[in-house]
Amino acid sequence: MNAARENILGRVRTALRVEAKAPAAPSAAPIFPPVTDLEARFREEFAVLKGEIITDLPAFLTAFPKIASAVPEVAGNSDVRQADLGVTGCDCLLARTGSIAVSTRNAGGRALSVLPPVHLVIARRDQLVPDLTAALALWQQRYDRHWPSNLSVITGASRTGDIEKILVMGAHGPKRLVLYFTD
Amino acid sequence: MRVGLFIPCFIDQLYPEVGRAMVTVLRRLNITAEFPAEQTCCGQPAFNTGYWPEARVLAQRYLKIFAGYDAIVCPSGSCTAMVRNSYPELLGAATPVTANTFEFGEFLVRKLGVTDVGARFPAKVTYHDSCHSLRELRLKDEPRQLLRHVRGLELIEMDQAETCCGFGGTFSVKLPLVSFAMDEVKVDSIQRTGAEYVISADSSCLMQIGGCLRRKKFATKTISLAEVLAAQ
Amino acid sequence: MTTAAQQFSHAAAAKATDLRHRAIIQKNIASYDIGVARGKDRFADWPNARSRAAAIKFETINHLDRYLEQFERNVLANGGHVHWAEDAEQARQIVLTLARQHGVRKVVKAKSMTTEEIHLNPALEAAGIQPVETDLGEYICQLRNEPPYHIVTPVMHLSKADVAELFHEKFGAALDAPAEELTMVARRQLRQDFLTADMGITGANFLIADTGMIALTTNEGNGRLSVSLPRIHVAIAGIEKLIPRLSDLGLFWPVLCTSGTGQALTSYSTLVGGPRRDGEVDGPAEFHVILLDNGRTKLLANPEMRDVLHCIRCGACLNTCPVYKTIGGHTYATTYQGPIGSVLTPRLRGAAEWSHLSFASSLCGSCTDVCPVRIDLHHHLLHNRRDAIASKFDHPLQRLAFKLWLWVVQSPARYAVAGKLARLGLRLGLGNSFAKPWTATRDLPAPPRQSFRDWWEKVGQASRLSDVKPPTGGTPVQHHP
Repeated sequence: MNAARENILGRVRTALRVEAKAPAAPSAAPIFPPVTDLEARFREEFAVLKGEIITDLPAFLTAFPKIASAVPEVAGNSDVRQADLGVTGCDCLLARTGSIAVSTRNAGGRALSVLPPVHLVIARRDQLVPDLTAALALWQQRYDRHWPSNLSVITGASRTGDIEKILVMGAHGPKRLVLYFTD
Repeated sequence: MRVGLFIPCFIDQLYPEVGRAMVTVLRRLNITAEFPAEQTCCGQPAFNTGYWPEARVLAQRYLKIFAGYDAIVCPSGSCTAMVRNSYPELLGAATPVTANTFEFGEFLVRKLGVTDVGARFPAKVTYHDSCHSLRELRLKDEPRQLLRHVRGLELIEMDQAETCCGFGGTFSVKLPLVSFAMDEVKVDSIQRTGAEYVISADSSCLMQIGGCLRRKKFATKTISLAEVLAAQ
Repeated sequence: MTTAAQQFSHAAAAKATDLRHRAIIQKNIASYDIGVARGKDRFADWPNARSRAAAIKFETINHLDRYLEQFERNVLANGGHVHWAEDAEQARQIVLTLARQHGVRKVVKAKSMTTEEIHLNPALEAAGIQPVETDLGEYICQLRNEPPYHIVTPVMHLSKADVAELFHEKFGAALDAPAEELTMVARRQLRQDFLTADMGITGANFLIADTGMIALTTNEGNGRLSVSLPRIHVAIAGIEKLIPRLSDLGLFWPVLCTSGTGQALTSYSTLVGGPRRDGEVDGPAEFHVILLDNGRTKLLANPEMRDVLHCIRCGACLNTCPVYKTIGGHTYATTYQGPIGSVLTPRLRGAAEWSHLSFASSLCGSCTDVCPVRIDLHHHLLHNRRDAIASKFDHPLQRLAFKLWLWVVQSPARYAVAGKLARLGLRLGLGNSFAKPWTATRDLPAPPRQSFRDWWEKVGQASRLSDVKPPTGGTPVQHHP
């Protein structure tokens, strides 16, 4: 394998001795328009994604006999493989796209937020950030030098359009994505 | 301003009325242009098929023939793009001759600042954006500005205006059924507008589109932008 | 013509007249087009986003050795392993060796065109290992024993009825089952595979140099399950998938999703930075990244073609290409289809056998217009054509024809004679014999009696040559009486 490494890197270095023509320089203008009202924008985008925001946590939980939980707010009673509800925290909420950033640290590992058919996120309004750029910067700041092994930006529940572009929810991951604000 | 006429080979031989129409409009604008008769072909068929040495010979020929003109005007988007965009790649650099070659509608709007040439063409029409005009010369609004000033003309946009008609030079006979399938998509789009005429700045596209319209016995006719602008 | 070229011509002709296929593709692409238009509107400046992405890719590819080494360092620091594969065979051997070492019997695969490129599944099967495609589209392809039709949407060519018929045959699903029910059938089947697989294999949409992570863009969740449940995760990616910084995903994730499906972001934008860490409750015990060359350094060594390595495999060029939409993905008979495939394949797999793909285009240029990283795709088709002719892969008769043609058009006199003969031939109806590829489906134009130059000589140049001032811009012109 080391021979392959040396061969490949050698070929790369040899190739790059000849310069290619650079493309026209981009402008420094912002790529996206600014997001003004974070919470309003998040709610709007989350709704388009068919995300659900609940206000009565106990009532919601009664529908789920088997719960796997990664947060103190909700008691878990099930292994992740049997659970019909997975409950996690999150790193932040992305307003521009209605997304939720999670990592193994707040999502109880890798499978808990993707295996059960319903995923509930317990969050706070002060976790709202404008967009992906902000979320990536937050991750970098929070986890630098001790990264979790797995992180995801979740934008709506699992879906597929593979069959005739017909949108179907719950392909392999959760069918429903639910959010509860504690504040 | 010394203006030269660049009349592509297939317009010279198959669609001379397009060249005549361009001359008519230029004369209406008090522009007397010259036609250097040594010109033959810009070399695009060779270039597009990969025969670059052959195309290079014709590029060098063009530079000699059109040396000294302030503007060279051509009633074809694809041949103009060949000279302006592809000759620099063939020859290693742009020259004043390549840089001053313009498609006819482009010349009127961008060089002369003219959008009303006193034309009258009362008909319901649609416009086909030929690929070279659209993507190589970046002409989209210019032909429409010209058509907007044609008296009596009603322009209805087709939904597939920017989709390739399927000609592509030798492509049309090398993969003829694929070419024809693309032709059908274009013709279907034209039919949905109910237009009496489909207009384009490229007669090769009109040959392709017209060939399908006539075979299917549709009433819609093809006509070049130059001929519409010449009509009174 | 070689076998691949002949097969291509036949397949293309067959698909071109398949109106049912044409209707299905047009319907699917229409949905895509609406989504993408909406997606582009989310950007303040989509053209600048493309320029920004092109610039970052240029920086990466033109310092690729540095970024490869940085990536490797960081993967190792996070407890992962990095392997280097010069070609498909080496890559397959690395996977098989890892599988043997870990007693792997079943593999769950997330969608990866790179694994298609190296023909991984047959190698696994030959070694007695069961590969299970878990992306719904790829799963359907696997059940039909068919390669993917499109690099992003593998079964774009199938209707719901086609899928229902397949699932009826394999799983007893109802023939009129709605898409939701069919998807749930797949979900139930594949859940068991996720829970029992020994190894998860993914590709990587991006390799992040500064954090040593791989980035995965998915919608279904199968990618996440593939990297969560099995005890070993292997990711295979071309060396060109690198981007310098984690923060660059703030641009590349939205750009990929917008061009790929029209979404702002897919359901899951996932980062994998290593095996399960201390304190984590799940995740594979081992994480392996295989960096694949397989001809990419050849492209790198060609400065004219180097930007082809910027490709982020979004599929936008396929979706805009009128030729692709007519002939479909399977006609190309190679892993990468459409414009990017037509540019890449002769360079990666040999121009002698695959140049015909670069000729199967009308050069409309729409691919170049939509490419989110500004690859000059249609001009690269021309470059491939130029090189194929220079290598004498053309038919000797065609070569002769162009030499003859050049001889004619170099002389105005010869050209004029040829023009007269051509018009005469058309008038005599010879077009129907000599131009059959055209006249089979289209009428030829009626030839004029007089060429432009004849008219000019006799009538046209009546006004003498003079230097005349053009009219002032913008004002309507007086009519001549």
